[in-house]
Amino acid sequence: MLTLTLPMIGKLAITDVATTVAAAAPAAGTNQLRTFLTGVKPEFVPAWAVPITAVLLAVAVAMGIVSIVAAFGTLAERKVSGHIQCRNGPMRAGWHGILQPLADGVKLMLKEDMIPIGADKILFLLSPSLVLGSLLGAMAVFPLAPDFYFADIDLGIFAILALTSTTTIGVIMAGWSSNSKWSLYGAMREAAQVVAYEIPLGISLLVPLIVCGTFNLIEVSDQQAGWFGMGWYIFRSPMMIPAFVLFFIAILAETKRAPFDLPEAESELVAGFLTEYSGIRWSFFFMEEYAAMFLFSAVGAFFFFGGFESPLTWGARAIFAETGAPLSPGGTPIMTTLGGQIALTLAAALGICVKASFGLFLMMWIRWTLPRIRIDQVMTMGYKYLTPLSLLCVLVTGVHEALIWPSLLEPWWPDFLQP
Amino acid sequence: MDFQAIHDRLRAIQAPGLLGADEPRAPDPEDKKDKGRSGDPFVLVDPQRLGPFLEAARSDERLKLDLLADLTATDPAKDDENLWINVQLLSMELKHRLAIKCVLPKADPVMPSTVPVHRASQWAEREAAEMYGITFSGHPDPRNILLPDDWVGHPLRKDYVFPDEYHGISCK
Amino acid sequence: MAIQNQPDRHEPSYTEGEARSLDTGEREYMLDVRTQDMELNMGPQHPATHGVMRILIRADGELCTGAQPHLGYLHRCAEKIGESVEWLQYLPYTDRYDYLAAMNNNLGYSMAVEKVMGLEIPRRALMLRTICAELNRIGSHLIAYGTYGLDLGAFTPFLYAFREREWMMALFEKICGARLTYSYIRIGGVFNDAPPGWLEEVMRFCDVFDVKWQEYVDLLMNNHLFVGRTADVGVIPKEMAIDFGLSGPMVRGSGIDWDIRRDMPYELYGEICADGAFEVPLGTGAKGTLGDCWDRFYVRVMEMRESIKIVRWCLANIEPGPVLADIPKTLRVPPGEAYVAIENPRGELGHYVVSDGSKVAVRCRVRGPSFSNISVTEALLPGTLVADAVAIIGSTDIVVGETDR
Repeated sequence: MLTLTLPMIGKLAITDVATTVAAAAPAAGTNQLRTFLTGVKPEFVPAWAVPITAVLLAVAVAMGIVSIVAAFGTLAERKVSGHIQCRNGPMRAGWHGILQPLADGVKLMLKEDMIPIGADKILFLLSPSLVLGSLLGAMAVFPLAPDFYFADIDLGIFAILALTSTTTIGVIMAGWSSNSKWSLYGAMREAAQVVAYEIPLGISLLVPLIVCGTFNLIEVSDQQAGWFGMGWYIFRSPMMIPAFVLFFIAILAETKRAPFDLPEAESELVAGFLTEYSGIRWSFFFMEEYAAMFLFSAVGAFFFFGGFESPLTWGARAIFAETGAPLSPGGTPIMTTLGGQIALTLAAALGICVKASFGLFLMMWIRWTLPRIRIDQVMTMGYKYLTPLSLLCVLVTGVHEALIWPSLLEPWWPDFLQP
Repeated sequence: MDFQAIHDRLRAIQAPGLLGADEPRAPDPEDKKDKGRSGDPFVLVDPQRLGPFLEAARSDERLKLDLLADLTATDPAKDDENLWINVQLLSMELKHRLAIKCVLPKADPVMPSTVPVHRASQWAEREAAEMYGITFSGHPDPRNILLPDDWVGHPLRKDYVFPDEYHGISCK
Repeated sequence: MAIQNQPDRHEPSYTEGEARSLDTGEREYMLDVRTQDMELNMGPQHPATHGVMRILIRADGELCTGAQPHLGYLHRCAEKIGESVEWLQYLPYTDRYDYLAAMNNNLGYSMAVEKVMGLEIPRRALMLRTICAELNRIGSHLIAYGTYGLDLGAFTPFLYAFREREWMMALFEKICGARLTYSYIRIGGVFNDAPPGWLEEVMRFCDVFDVKWQEYVDLLMNNHLFVGRTADVGVIPKEMAIDFGLSGPMVRGSGIDWDIRRDMPYELYGEICADGAFEVPLGTGAKGTLGDCWDRFYVRVMEMRESIKIVRWCLANIEPGPVLADIPKTLRVPPGEAYVAIENPRGELGHYVVSDGSKVAVRCRVRGPSFSNISVTEALLPGTLVADAVAIIGSTDIVVGETDR
């Protein structure tokens, strides 16, 4: 994955949040947002303002999603950790601390923004934006529902992996520019760790990719709509479960979550690359962390757990789909009525949110249970175990898909179970 | 082994620098000023030969006093001419202890370091050195350990004069 | 400040002459690769130093090549104060060097003074002293357990340990009114008798703790990742442990069968030992090498259960009676000197007191176990990873208040 990201470094280092999303804008032109804006555009608004408005709206929505995910991610983290540790967590701000993210946000924004003496000022100020910006860029290709996306590009998962791995560059910049030895250690650990774990992450994703044959997230989801919305790839072949376990371990390392939180190991490196940051810049890193957790969990959901598909979407289709409606590439009927579209969108969004949130919860559960592992153990695990195992998964899946699966396609189940 | 047996054994092996023993005693009923001495018995050792003494106590088969539990100094009184060096030895294997006292003149508080014999005395000697102004010749790392490097005086001496200020911080 | 006495390892591996014999490109490269070790200032404010201690680590990447502890940031002149205040007035100061085991400090100081005075202590007072000292040992080991998990990145066991420690502190609050600095055990006995119902509550605590103890074992001690972080790390061989004057769980972790409570019994421990009420857990090298961090941790966890056994023995044998010997308000200790060592949670806590018959001590030396125990890091850290340095410092379970006094 790193080889993929390297050519993009030069481009991304100079881009900001808006331009990153704007890079996806030509594709965004085909989506319904642009169609909608073109429809409501008054006469005096020039035509070129439409794509700009679309991009700005997309940025706002992406930013909003990231903020909401991060805000409630931190709240969930504190509640989950609290209950794991026999305490209550935040209880004062609102009902069971529901307003705590608001209080935290206000506090962080009002906090003094300190820049250490001797820091490389430009890099120091730039790196939080780069970290968050590359994640927002990844959000741009992440569909929230079959008909609700900023950019429906054919290399969807590729773009997500490439853009999220550039957050590493921001982290390394942060560590280097802070003029602190602890930050530098954190940055070096992050670099080593991400390079090691990008490989099993990418390879373990190849396992479902062999099966689905497309990088487009919406199509991947569409293909899993069978079996009353439960035709998930995790049930598809024997290698899917190990592949998901490898993928999950790799995303723990990618998002710097315990037991792989070495870059910010608070008892060893004080706070790693975050040591010298304060206030809103510090919170940018946290927003990135929670949004990345959410995003990677969602990717896992897309490739292993059916994406949008669940009995809910199956129900929405069963109720609202008209007979004879055109079929999508995955073979599901396309909704033609507005009610059907709304029902399907809600069901799909709910499905993906629940699945991604469960992934988030798993990550929190693991974080508050396990001790941290050592850097040499991280490297050993990445290079010696996860990479060969993921390659083995790919091999077995290839054999399975080529030789065994076609023979299983002959229906051996009773007719009434036929989806 | 009790103290008497340890002392006899030390004499039998002619431990270098052994000067004698001091045991607690009841007050003399004749002499009203004498209050006796209570507490632990200890052996008196020549400070200049403390290292060889510790080596002998450690290597003897029947003593095996191989662990230096503590090394410290004492300033018995302001008008006293001597400092004491107090060493506590312990044998974990034979389960006995030995207290050692060396008398060192205040006028020339120099004695050889015992670090070559017991690594444990390295930090203990650093502390005794800074607190009492004793020079342990041959100490591998003779820096202050608890006090700042630029501290003036030796605080646990009875004639120590408290400083008025330290780097602009009033100590009154 | 550079680390002294440890020569720079990273002289270039090629001399000029050797480099000249190589061809041009390689020569320039070799002369260019002259790496320098990084000096990492761990502390005085660092989460892993358990207080305000500073360890200067020289690191080659993630590898420590040298370490030098710097002490004294918490030096509060305890020994000088001991020579300035009256015998009884010094008692509250003893609380403050090992603040996690204040009862044991009270006990050590009181026993040293009592030895010089030749004082007889009432039996009920001895019982209460033993109960409090052992409960405090449990509390202190719970902190050691929790903070060691914290050092290795496991946050949850820390709060589990604090749950039981909270109850222990509530028990102490009931008996003496303080939660951390007790000054409960005093010269001549204990400050006051246990309030009604206190002993029964201690019994309930013991019953609950036995159940919770299993949780600690399952949660952290046998955790695979935890074992991976601690086994074979920071191995202290027996000879090294003795040479550095280590004590307590540090030597028991190295397999040396030594516990002052059993081998040189003081107060009631002789009787308890004769009854076979407790045994001394030793490191076995079960998960790695004998004397590694895991063994030391194991000894502490097992000792908690042994302390519970001692408390149960005391609760079974305690009888009503006086709790304080008849001593005057202003103590005059007869001339003499004594060194009394007791088994503190961290090892041998020695008090060397000298009296000349007046109201004030001539010398009040405290031999803190943490002081000796942390000295071993100087020799253990070189050659380990920076993350292991944290594991090793954590496994020594120091209280900086005691190393600096």
